[in-house]
Amino acid sequence: MAPGDGVAGPVARWASVGAGAGGGLVAGVLVGALMEHQGMVAGRAGAPAWVAFGVLGVVVGAAMGPLHGHRAPGAAVAVPGGMTAGLLGWMVWFLTGEPLLRGEAPEWSAEAAGRAYRELVGCLLSGGLTGALYQGAALLVRRLAPPAPEPGPAARVVVVGGGFAGVAAARRFERLALRGHRLDVTLVSASNYLLFTPMLAEVASGALQARHISAPVRAAASHTRFRHGTVEQIDPVRRTVTLDAGSGRPEALPYDHLVLAVGSVAHAAGLPGVDEHAFTLKDLGDARVLRDHVLALLERADLEPDDRKRRQLLTFVVAGGGFAGTEAVAELFDLVHSVLPYYPGIGEGDPRFVLVHSGAMILPELPPELGAYALERLRARGIEVRLGVRAAGAGPADVRLTSGELISTRTFVWTAGQRANPLAATLPAERGRGGALVVDATMRVPGLEGVWAVGDCARIPAPDGGTYPPTAQHAQREGRQVADNIAAVVSGRAPRPFAFRTLGVFVALGHRTAAGEIRGRRFSGLAAWMLWRGIYLAKLPGIEKRARVLFDWALDLAFPRDIAVTAPPAHRFPAAARFPRPEEGS
Amino acid sequence: MSAVPRAGGLRAAVLPGAVAGVAGGLVFGAAMAMLGTLPTVASIVRADSPYTGFAVHLVIAVVLGIGFAALVSRQRARAGELLFWGLAYGAFWWFLGPQTLLPLLRGLPVAWDLAGARALVPSLIGHLCYGTAVALVLVLLSGSRDRVRSGLRPTVLLRGAAAGLLAGSVVGGLGVMAGASPGPLPLAGLPLGLGYPLLFSAEREGAGPAIVRGAAYGFLCWIAAELTLPPLLRDGVLDWSHTAAAAAAGRLPGYILLGALTSALFTLLGALAAGLFTDDVRLARTEAPGARGLRATGHGILAGLAGGLVFTGVMVAAGALPTVARLVGGQSAAVGLLVHLVIAQIVGVSYAVLFRRRGFDLASGLGWGVSYGFVWWVLGGLTLLPVLLGGEPRWSAAGMAAAFPSLVGHLAYGAALGMVYYALEARANPWWVTRNEAEAARVAARQEQTLGSAPALWTLTAILALIIPLLVAGGG
Repeated sequence: MAPGDGVAGPVARWASVGAGAGGGLVAGVLVGALMEHQGMVAGRAGAPAWVAFGVLGVVVGAAMGPLHGHRAPGAAVAVPGGMTAGLLGWMVWFLTGEPLLRGEAPEWSAEAAGRAYRELVGCLLSGGLTGALYQGAALLVRRLAPPAPEPGPAARVVVVGGGFAGVAAARRFERLALRGHRLDVTLVSASNYLLFTPMLAEVASGALQARHISAPVRAAASHTRFRHGTVEQIDPVRRTVTLDAGSGRPEALPYDHLVLAVGSVAHAAGLPGVDEHAFTLKDLGDARVLRDHVLALLERADLEPDDRKRRQLLTFVVAGGGFAGTEAVAELFDLVHSVLPYYPGIGEGDPRFVLVHSGAMILPELPPELGAYALERLRARGIEVRLGVRAAGAGPADVRLTSGELISTRTFVWTAGQRANPLAATLPAERGRGGALVVDATMRVPGLEGVWAVGDCARIPAPDGGTYPPTAQHAQREGRQVADNIAAVVSGRAPRPFAFRTLGVFVALGHRTAAGEIRGRRFSGLAAWMLWRGIYLAKLPGIEKRARVLFDWALDLAFPRDIAVTAPPAHRFPAAARFPRPEEGS
Repeated sequence: MSAVPRAGGLRAAVLPGAVAGVAGGLVFGAAMAMLGTLPTVASIVRADSPYTGFAVHLVIAVVLGIGFAALVSRQRARAGELLFWGLAYGAFWWFLGPQTLLPLLRGLPVAWDLAGARALVPSLIGHLCYGTAVALVLVLLSGSRDRVRSGLRPTVLLRGAAAGLLAGSVVGGLGVMAGASPGPLPLAGLPLGLGYPLLFSAEREGAGPAIVRGAAYGFLCWIAAELTLPPLLRDGVLDWSHTAAAAAAGRLPGYILLGALTSALFTLLGALAAGLFTDDVRLARTEAPGARGLRATGHGILAGLAGGLVFTGVMVAAGALPTVARLVGGQSAAVGLLVHLVIAQIVGVSYAVLFRRRGFDLASGLGWGVSYGFVWWVLGGLTLLPVLLGGEPRWSAAGMAAAFPSLVGHLAYGAALGMVYYALEARANPWWVTRNEAEAARVAARQEQTLGSAPALWTLTAILALIIPLLVAGGG
């Protein structure tokens, strides 16, 4: 609200409505009585004329409070406002309502208005008087009413994590604040943007600009206090979050309720060399690094006379046959083959793509038929899919598989392992698979008062006995629900268990191809690809990003992909930075 | 900057209010002397001398002047915009004075009948002139000349002249299409455009409020250029009679559109100049339209649809849907309804573009909506619809009276549009929830602007919209 304005409580609201109705009654009866006394109007339906004006006055007067936001706006505003409302009341009642009650169709003609001219003047004057009386009564109420008790301090809520769940929670808190909930919300995130992860692989392939799939948190939750920094420590006993905002000294953020939405990080499960030599695909930096790396390799391969080295440069291995890995290998394939005309030294059959997956079928999140379809489409393009094997380790120029095979490559993308952000492990609470915090159905962390967890870092029990999957559609709804639940607890009500049925899942398989299902209905090929694009375009945060991505896609249809390498030379890529340190995850 | 003293309320308002009241009384008194109505005022004290009438009139004028100064003392009215408070105040006292209190004081029955009101048209214009004079004198007494100086800058005057000439050409062309002589409309654009920045300063503001203000400004210019100056210059007498007003009513829509278009162009040219020639981004800082403008557009569509549905009742009752269907070559009511709802949404989007973030509560949403509905009655109902159907604009007293159902529909449409749009904007875009002091200052400035002359504009527009077609009907 603007300075000086407060949100009127229910008592004040009803008082203002009552004051306006009382003022309207007095004004209407006075004007109606004057008109009747002067013989200007006759009684209607056996009632004296002032009754109709009194009723109309009550209606117009009762509207004064809501119209003026239940404030006393000043006589110079209230009187004209009352006159305008009176004129509208004349239109509604004397031009429309009365003819209808008489069983006649309203004319709204100049003749009809001329016949009701007396009532028009009456409504105008009684409206003005109503406004004046409302102003006086509102001032009187304000003066006489006992001072409102000082509200207690607003509940302090700290949301850690600027992903789908965290931002959705913050936005929901904004709505709740608008409805009168007293919540002091702070959102903490190590990145100052919300990343739309479903399109990350397209950034890695150069089809989309990196900035276009990220929305600044300050814009996405523009009325929430935002702190850009890394959470170093959570003290659930003293209810404090320690924040490193880059100033050099830790800052303590006290909370009454803490929402952990810190997501997950790549996890190599201790496989030798993976941390040092594999690329990950978790954030924009990863995508940019991978794209520049691939393009730099193509530059080198184009000039490389040694066939063995060239094959090594042009071999791309992706570990993990889930959504991320499948989309990554498909997009890498698209990137390399779409820019090959720039590299005359590389033949069409030279690049080699390998997808390594430990299961019997890729994309276990999809029905087997769609997984088989995806496998068939990838293999049809020449992508080698190794099922039932895992990566056993990685070196600077090779990847070892559990089958014993050694693949010579300079590009190894790791998507096979995820675990909850290490920050979750610092809490004295039960953790489940992947280190995710075990929460109850309302998303509260048992044993930790005021701590809630949502998104990829939480294992939320589903009604079917399992847990909800770590997808964006779930994270967004969990974020909204946790905000509602916290508001409920602050208001003394019980939180509600989270319940959501998956709408559908889609996986992009590269050039004009996708597969997926919506509520059990399966799609594949071009139709699925168009659905994928349409749905995810609509899900992008903000109209601006949708427009930019749409332009990117449109330009991609008309122009070749950009092969400019904007990063430092490949040999300077800090391999160790590809996996986040524990404190970077939030 | 305030036009009148704020501190002290009524006490501080006595002297400037009295002086302004005297000035207004002299203006109105001179007109009454020419119209020969002073003896009527004298009858309040059971006399019939015009001198006594003038004295009584002057006393009343002083009392009302003090009341006006007290009323606006707490308003953050900008100097030039106090004019509209004066006009609204004058209109209000026309109802309360000659139509109500004067007969009571003379021991006569109060007669709020249309025939009596038509006979009092000269008094209405006199009251409006009184309000204008009181407001302008109060502005002068406040010592607020900075804004007048800003309006005297050559570039600003040039902008006003360009806006006026352009608007005059467009509206004059429509006047020619009306079949009747457009009168001095094309040329009136120049003085009207030059006068606009002098009266209202060159301060940047939203185009929506400027349009509403311009429409009221056009009405004022109509009184001056059509009702007052011609008989005064030609015959040396005033003729504010109902008959004269009805005869000049044919050019009233033109003046309203001229004022609205001039102010809109003046504002847009200012924004364009700021966008092109301001090399300091801090001075040119405006929110990119794409950021939240598209959401506002969606809200405009919804609000326009809501208003259109309200309007539909009037359209059905008046049997106007087949007429609207002719816009696209159809004849059925169903096609007419479709076209009507599409137009309602387009106008709703224009409302969203023009009035975004101008609503601070339901009252302001209602006020802007009703005012915008009236402007669209003049532009759409009286002008564009008949022209697009191959006819002439209904710029006449009879035409305005015939279009009264459409006026009721447009006002109802505007009311629903403004309130629904405000509700949508408040629900989804709580922009007044401030995050820092800079934001708070921006919001406060906008609220101050709305609390300036906006309430007076809304009321004045609603009164004139409903009264003028009735008053001028049957006289032309």
